[in-house]
This record gives sequence, C-alpha cells and structure tokens, in this order.
Amino acid sequence: MYQFVTGPMAWIAFGIFFLGMAVKVVSLFYLTREKDKVVFNHFSWQWSLKSIIRWLIPFGSRSMREKPLFTIITFSFHICLLITPIFLLSHNIILEERWGISLWTLPESVSDILTIVVIVTVVFLALRRIALADVRIVTSAYDYLLLAITAMPFITGFLAYHQFSNYKFWLIFHILSGEIMLIAIPFTRLSHIFLFFMTRAHIGSEMGQRRGAATW
Amino acid sequence: MAEPAVNVKLIKERLAFLKGGRFKAWLEICAHCAYCSDSCFFYLAHDKDPKYMPAYKVKQTLDKLYKKKGEVTWEELEKMADIAYGDCTACRRCSLYCPFGIDVAVMIAAVRGILCGQGLAPKGLQDAAKHHWETGNQMAITEEDFVETCKWMEEESEEEMPGLKIPIEKKGAETLYVLNAREVKFYPQDIAEAAMILYAAGEDWTFPDLGWDMTNLAMFAGNAQVMAHSAKLVYDAAKRLEVKKIITSE
Repeated sequence: MYQFVTGPMAWIAFGIFFLGMAVKVVSLFYLTREKDKVVFNHFSWQWSLKSIIRWLIPFGSRSMREKPLFTIITFSFHICLLITPIFLLSHNIILEERWGISLWTLPESVSDILTIVVIVTVVFLALRRIALADVRIVTSAYDYLLLAITAMPFITGFLAYHQFSNYKFWLIFHILSGEIMLIAIPFTRLSHIFLFFMTRAHIGSEMGQRRGAATW
Repeated sequence: MAEPAVNVKLIKERLAFLKGGRFKAWLEICAHCAYCSDSCFFYLAHDKDPKYMPAYKVKQTLDKLYKKKGEVTWEELEKMADIAYGDCTACRRCSLYCPFGIDVAVMIAAVRGILCGQGLAPKGLQDAAKHHWETGNQMAITEEDFVETCKWMEEESEEEMPGLKIPIEKKGAETLYVLNAREVKFYPQDIAEAAMILYAAGEDWTFPDLGWDMTNLAMFAGNAQVMAHSAKLVYDAAKRLEVKKIITSE
C-alpha cells in the first residue's frame, strides 16, 4: 500500500494536478478569446497587477477591512496552507532522497504550529458557514466537502507526525488525502489557486482601464 | 389560468451562447464567502436579509439555470424575474467586494436576457423597447410631433432670447444634442432651456430627426436586439450629420 501511494499514485496525482490545471487555464483562455472578446479590448497589465497585488495583501481591500476577523482567519489559513507542505522538513527529505533536491525547510516545531493554524481556521470557516445567515444561505454540502478535502491532509499529517496509535495507517491516509486534494483542484472550486489571477486581472482591467475605478 | 409554456430550447441556446470563459470561471470559483453581502444596498436596506446577498441571487438564477440545463418551470422563471428585475439594479458594487472580482451584475443582466426571451421582462420595459424598435424612441412620438414640439419651444423662447433657433437635422453641425423622450412628451420646456444654454454658449448644434432619444430601456429589459438598435440610431445620426461630439441630457 505504502509503495502504491508513494509510487504510481503520487505520479498520477501530481500529473492530474499539473496537467489538469494547464488544460483548464489554456482552454479558459481560448474560450474567452472566442466568446468574451470584451475581456481583451480593455486589458491592462498595470491595472491587472494592481488589482492582484492589492488583494494578496491583508486588509488591502475595502471589503477585507469591513470584515477584519474573517480577513485575519482566511489569510492565516491560506498562508499556512501554502507554506507548510512546501517547506516541511519531512517532505524535503523525501525530495532529497528521491531526486536529490530540497528547499529551505521550516523548523519542525514551527511547521507543527502552522498545521494547527490550518486545522483551527478550517474549523472556524466551517462554524462561520453555520453561524452567519448570509453565509449559510449560499452554503451546501459541497462547501463542507471542499473544506474537508483541504483539511484532511493536515489533520492526518498532524496525527502521523505525533505518531498517534497506528503511525503507518495515518501516514498512508495522509499521503492519500494529499493526493485526493491535488486531484480535486483542477475539477473543483479549488482551481481558484490559479483562476484567482485570471479573474482578478479581468475585473482590475474592466473597472480600472475602462473607467478608472479601483477594485479594492 | 394555465401557465404559459416555457421555451426550453431558447433557454438552452442562450445558456450555450453565454457560456464563455468568464461565466465558466465565475460560476465555478465563487467560494460562497459572503464578502459581497455588505456591498449590496438591497441587503443592507432589508436589515441584512440573507436572500438579498449577491451570491445568493446568482445561485437562484444563472447558477440554477445551468444546473438544470435550462429545464425550468414557468414558476421558477417568475421567481428568477423577481430577483433579476426586482432585487438587483446591476450596479456592480459587489464585484468590487469580491476577492475573485466576480461580476454579478453581468450575470444578472444575462439572466434578464433569458427572461426577456420568455416574455418575462416587466411590462413597462417591454413596451418601451417595442416603441423604440418601431418608432425610434421609447414613447412612440412621431417625427411630426417632435418637430412640432421643437417649433413650439422655439416660439416660446422668442421673447427671452430673440433669434434662438432649434435646428433639426442640420448637416455638418459641431454638436449633436440627444435627450430623453420623456422630455419631449411631458417636459417640453426642458428642450427650450437646453436650447437657451446651447444658444448662449454659441454652440453650433442640432437635433437629429431620427435617433434623438438616447434612453435605452431595452438594455434594462435584457433585450439585446433593441438595445443595439437604440444605440445605433444615435450613432447613425452622428455619422449622418457628421458631428464632432454628442451631448446627452439628464
């Protein structure tokens, strides 16, 4: 089982992730060029970049400032979600063993805290979906499923690292859930990790280049 | 009374036509985060009633139409009409609040287009669009009446501003002045006042005899054909009279 999830399954997951996203981004680009010409006639790199950068900075937009607690939570969630797996010591050890390359790594105590941050913020996001009427009304089971898919690699990774009861089980579960997340990205809303830049570039240009209005 | 039949084929065609890169991406990535709620004055004015939050309006209309592949009942379409025409002004403020910059107003406008194709646009807007298509202005004012009104206002202004003329269809004028058909029908003194300003400013201006109504209620109805026609009447008038600029009232 361990051989399978770290061997062929890993190749499949990363393959689907990279290939799927590439196909998606390219096909959306061509579809837009064919059907939404309006996107290109006012496209501006300057307004696109401004719009993207503003929204990557915490409290960079008016809406973020209006909901400060949620902004802190989502930024903590997203930052920890990205940093932890990439700079995790054990992930880089595997990279080193297999391909002889590795990145700078986080101290294990730090990555442990970042993992906890991800888990806690996911719980908060789930509770927020239940507690606030305006979020609840647009929430369906699918929203919780995606939260679960995102949280699972962190929960299982945490349990595996701390060797709760059956280490082997949690480890395999962890690898598998990470692979499920990678596979899910191109086919679900999680694709926003790439599409964010495209849709923001569009609205930045649409509002900025066309009428000089800021989208933040 | 039996409900009118839904033209599902037409809805399917519209949905397929509309599904470009933008709609595809927007409908997929909306995270239901509710950043948009507080941008909407309908939401705020209704004591934060969640049914007015922008993402929900899309979920109940365009998203639903795609999920059901256009196979919706008349009752469902009527509910969508209440939302698309009644609960959203397409002001686009929510797209400034959205992390992904999802343009909700564009999607609501698309829904209006679909509803308009089923005859579900509000009656007043449908009538105005029909008039604009048939007569070149939303209030079905004849060319004769328009010219008469301008002549009348010319006479009315004579005392105050001797020599004032209200030119119609003057080729080669500098400026084309276009207005709202409502002014011609109900507030003709607006024409006189605008003419006085233009006269006092020494403008070389003219009305066109066709294409003088710059309103576009068909756009609000979602009727793309008449919307384009209405805008083109003004554009054609400007071309025909070889003016350098267009001034609109209101």
